[in-house]
Amino acid sequence: MVLETVPAEYYLVLSAAVFCIGLFGILTRRNALVFLMSVELLLNAANVNLVAFAFYWGNVTGQTFALFVIALAAAEVAVGIGIVLVVHRNFDDVDVTNATTLKW
Amino acid sequence: MVTMANEWLLLSPAAAFVLAALALFVIDAFAPEDADGGLLAAVAAVGGIAALSASGVLLLSGVAADGVELFGGQLVVDGMSLLFTFIFGSVTALVSVASVDYIRELPHKAEYYLLVTLAATGMSLLASANSLAVVFVALELSSLPSYALVAYLKRNRGSVEGALKYFLVGALSSGIMVYGISLVYAATGSLLLSDVASALGGASADYPGVLGVGLLMIVGGLAFKTASVPFHFWAPDAYEGAPAPVAAFLSSASKAAGFVVAFRVLVVGFPIGTIAGTLDWVLLFQVLAVVTMTLGNFAAATQENVKRMLAYSSIGHAGYALIGLAALTNAGGPGAEATVLGASMLHLFVYGFMNTGAFLFVALVEHWELGRTFEDYNGLGREAPVACVAMTVFVFSLAGLPVGGGFLSKYFLFAGAVGAGVPWLALVGAVNSALSLYYYSRVVKAMWIEPPAEPLGIERYPTALYAAVLTAAVVTVLLLPGLVVFDGIAFEAAASLF
Repeated sequence: MVLETVPAEYYLVLSAAVFCIGLFGILTRRNALVFLMSVELLLNAANVNLVAFAFYWGNVTGQTFALFVIALAAAEVAVGIGIVLVVHRNFDDVDVTNATTLKW
Repeated sequence: MVTMANEWLLLSPAAAFVLAALALFVIDAFAPEDADGGLLAAVAAVGGIAALSASGVLLLSGVAADGVELFGGQLVVDGMSLLFTFIFGSVTALVSVASVDYIRELPHKAEYYLLVTLAATGMSLLASANSLAVVFVALELSSLPSYALVAYLKRNRGSVEGALKYFLVGALSSGIMVYGISLVYAATGSLLLSDVASALGGASADYPGVLGVGLLMIVGGLAFKTASVPFHFWAPDAYEGAPAPVAAFLSSASKAAGFVVAFRVLVVGFPIGTIAGTLDWVLLFQVLAVVTMTLGNFAAATQENVKRMLAYSSIGHAGYALIGLAALTNAGGPGAEATVLGASMLHLFVYGFMNTGAFLFVALVEHWELGRTFEDYNGLGREAPVACVAMTVFVFSLAGLPVGGGFLSKYFLFAGAVGAGVPWLALVGAVNSALSLYYYSRVVKAMWIEPPAEPLGIERYPTALYAAVLTAAVVTVLLLPGLVVFDGIAFEAAASLF
């Protein structure tokens, strides 16, 4: 059993690190495509948890859900790329801070 | 006990949306150049009406009063899910009918109605979601079409920008939410809400921090869907940039979908009695409710753009509906809790009609190309009196005056908050309602009292948009007596959750 050598907490630390890298990317980078990559890190951080704790709890719920998350991540990127494309056509840029026609 | 065939019948409201979407796929495949889009709108509207009829019949027949679990407990059909599916069906039908005139000149009509029905499918599944996995999948099914719908006017900078902001906040919050779900799974070993609830006292005690952070992140995802603070930033931009019927759809149906899933996840999956020591979500929602309604109403009061004012007012109404969760302090006993939660559902129900109607009136004004500020509405009452009477009903009902169901639902909500032992929440809500009267009456004043700067020159009176606006207005008025008759449904639906 793998988890006898690697305690479950280590996976939590790993996934938290991946999540924080993704969150840092979202908050600091202006390129919409880098934003999409950072969102992938958030979703994959969740996948690490789901798979690791599926082993820990001895059921496959987490692994199955991880498959759903992977599929949904692909769908989300597909819609996201489409929106980035129309943003580029209208604003000639994929900088997320450029689109500022709507203000309070 | 229900038989196998009846179990499938219980899913007929969601099936109506799915069938409408499939029919639209087929029509688009065989006749992609359908000229006026009337057929496409009719299919989407029939899907919505079928969904609301089916859920209405199931609701009144009481077959699902105690909640029927399907697919090994992944989905549950009960009073609350049927009540909200009724809302989604009504809003889908109204929006589909109104869109005939709004997008008459635009390409890709089939995709538009398709995305509306697919989003409605996701919402009806959200209402029935009984496991965190289904919550996430259904949430994405309702969100992804919504992003694309906001960007429907793809040569319009506002529409594209609104979609970009909606997508950025949505992708971030769904990432946060799924990480929260994974942490809850780590702590409890299950994604089924009932199993999560029963695991709260046991093994999860080993990881109280993991569980608490996970729940906090799930609440963040739900706050995005309901356009509540702190994930409300997308709402004004997305609603203002989006085509007005889409804004109507998002601010009514999508918000209600966020609330129904919040009610079920928190009340069934994380009962406050067992989780209060880890994360007191009632206290969290008390803060969120007060901040959301105050911020929404104050920001709405400063707007010059009617659509943006309605967007902020919709944030304010999310704050009122949050009272349903914020008042579950157990101070007034389970009966009082069911009352305030049921009142919150009733408010979302009425809101589904009055807010959809208000945004569809904005769609009507956009169709006339009159502009978007309060001044542009000057003198509209003389040119289009019928529609303006409807708009007057909507905004006064939103403000809580006794012209429509909004008065009763707010009364139930505030009275419920008092009964549940949090009178100060009702007080904050009442003060906010009084403030909201200021900016709602600005619309009425512009329409009926102010003279227009120049002749408005309205030539066309689009039939379908009028039909949708007037239907919404008639239902809003009828809900004033109607709520007295049917309020028991919501209170029973809420009571069966505890």
